[in-house]
Amino acid sequence: MTRISIDPITRLEGHGKIEIFLGDDGSVSNCYFQVPELRGFEKFVEGMPIEEVPRVVSRICGV
Amino acid sequence: MTFEPKIVGILCNWCSYTGADLAGTARIKYAPNVRVVRVMCSGRVDPTFVLKAFAEGADGVLVAGCHPGDCHYIEGNYKTMRRMALFKKMLADYGIEPGRFRLEWVSASEGDRWAKVVNQITEEVRKLGPAKLRAPRRKKIPA
Amino acid sequence: MAKLKLASYWAAACGGCDVAILDTHEKILDIAAAADIVFWPIATDFKYADVEAMPDGHIDVTLFHGAVRNSENEHLAHLLRAKSKVLVAFGTCAHLGGIPGLANLFDRKAIFKRVYHDTQSTVNPDGVEPQTKTQMPEGELTLPEFYDTVMPLDHLVEVDYYVPGCPPTPKQIWAVVQAIVSGQLPPKGSVVGASEKTQCDECKLKKNEKKITSFKRIATAQPEHETCYLEQGFLCLGPVTRGGCDTRCQLSGVACRGCYGPPPGVLDQGAKAVSAIASVIEAKDEAEIGRILAEIPDALRSLNRFGIPASLLRRKTL
Repeated sequence: MTRISIDPITRLEGHGKIEIFLGDDGSVSNCYFQVPELRGFEKFVEGMPIEEVPRVVSRICGV
Repeated sequence: MTFEPKIVGILCNWCSYTGADLAGTARIKYAPNVRVVRVMCSGRVDPTFVLKAFAEGADGVLVAGCHPGDCHYIEGNYKTMRRMALFKKMLADYGIEPGRFRLEWVSASEGDRWAKVVNQITEEVRKLGPAKLRAPRRKKIPA
Repeated sequence: MAKLKLASYWAAACGGCDVAILDTHEKILDIAAAADIVFWPIATDFKYADVEAMPDGHIDVTLFHGAVRNSENEHLAHLLRAKSKVLVAFGTCAHLGGIPGLANLFDRKAIFKRVYHDTQSTVNPDGVEPQTKTQMPEGELTLPEFYDTVMPLDHLVEVDYYVPGCPPTPKQIWAVVQAIVSGQLPPKGSVVGASEKTQCDECKLKKNEKKITSFKRIATAQPEHETCYLEQGFLCLGPVTRGGCDTRCQLSGVACRGCYGPPPGVLDQGAKAVSAIASVIEAKDEAEIGRILAEIPDALRSLNRFGIPASLLRRKTL
């Protein structure tokens, strides 16, 4: 089995990687997409004054 | 082996430092755990000093000044009062137990009060244990 | 003159810093004329393996944005430091930890619990959480280790320059690029692309005397937009924030939240904010002071929104 790693995925916003497993005949046996990032906005805005939240969550994605 | 807290004391020159000095000349016996830093006025105490003390290993910090109304520079200790009140809220958010930081007013004639304050904070911090500030690895305090 | 080899990389980031670079608009063509991009995930297809294959010092300038939150971010911090002649902590996250740094009030356990189990829209009956190693029939899959604590770039590697801002303004980015290309840079370790003074120095709002008798929130009160926000009782970190952004927030109707970081000489922006703001409260007795300060909810996250990882205590003790 041959393994092809695409790391990182590019030309988009965010982190990701793809692992492709090829069988002996060269066809795709299986393929996995993984997201190796997490920042935890869902947790760290807990308890913030509500009017401050938009100024924080706008940083989830700057694009 | 009992835990001996390391407590940093930041004292104003005119009242609290003189009061602490009086405790010394009066040969009052009290806990030796407070390391004293003298400033001219408690209004000079930047919360940064307190945070730096904790960051560099202090288990407790004590800021002492003149009683309100008695400040040698008239208004200085009102600033201290306001700053430390807001600072205590920030310290709580950092997860530092309230017993580790104290603001006290000690006059030049209150040698016995100084000894009492030191004994109190030492015992309280002893009960709380070492301040295990979970700073990450590779820590370097800028000069 | 040979073209500069330029890289731009994002760690725990949002992409805003890359977009800010693109927001230099037509000047991006000048940047492209002066530099060869050798690694830029948002815009080019170079892979980590390509960077690993470079000789040390091969890249002239790397703009590193995003905070360091996991082992992959850390690996890239060390890798890019080795492969770059000049490493720039670009944007507030790399400079101070930034918004992701707010996670330092929690730890991995609390964050994973909320993200993978407790959020109202999550369906995860088997309680699956990310694992650093997962064995699948075809082979082993890996994910980076999520650290308990977010770090700014200089907690891990030597940083040559800091460009503050969330994000840095395109005007300042262009100034920094010009400085790099012309070789006119200040001593290593300096903050570039920003003023040496505070926000108040460039703020055009009318200033009188600050005597705060109550704090207000925009959720419940309307500020006047011609007068200093702090004077009106709306929390503004302008006095403790480095200038250079042309007071874009203040001109947009909101008070400064400190993204350009502390002014020169300030070790802890939050501590300085406490000092500056508390000292202009108009009250002389404990009860009155307590009443006024009760109107500032969420002290740490309001007084140090962007720089908790870079602050003296770095994180909440749990």
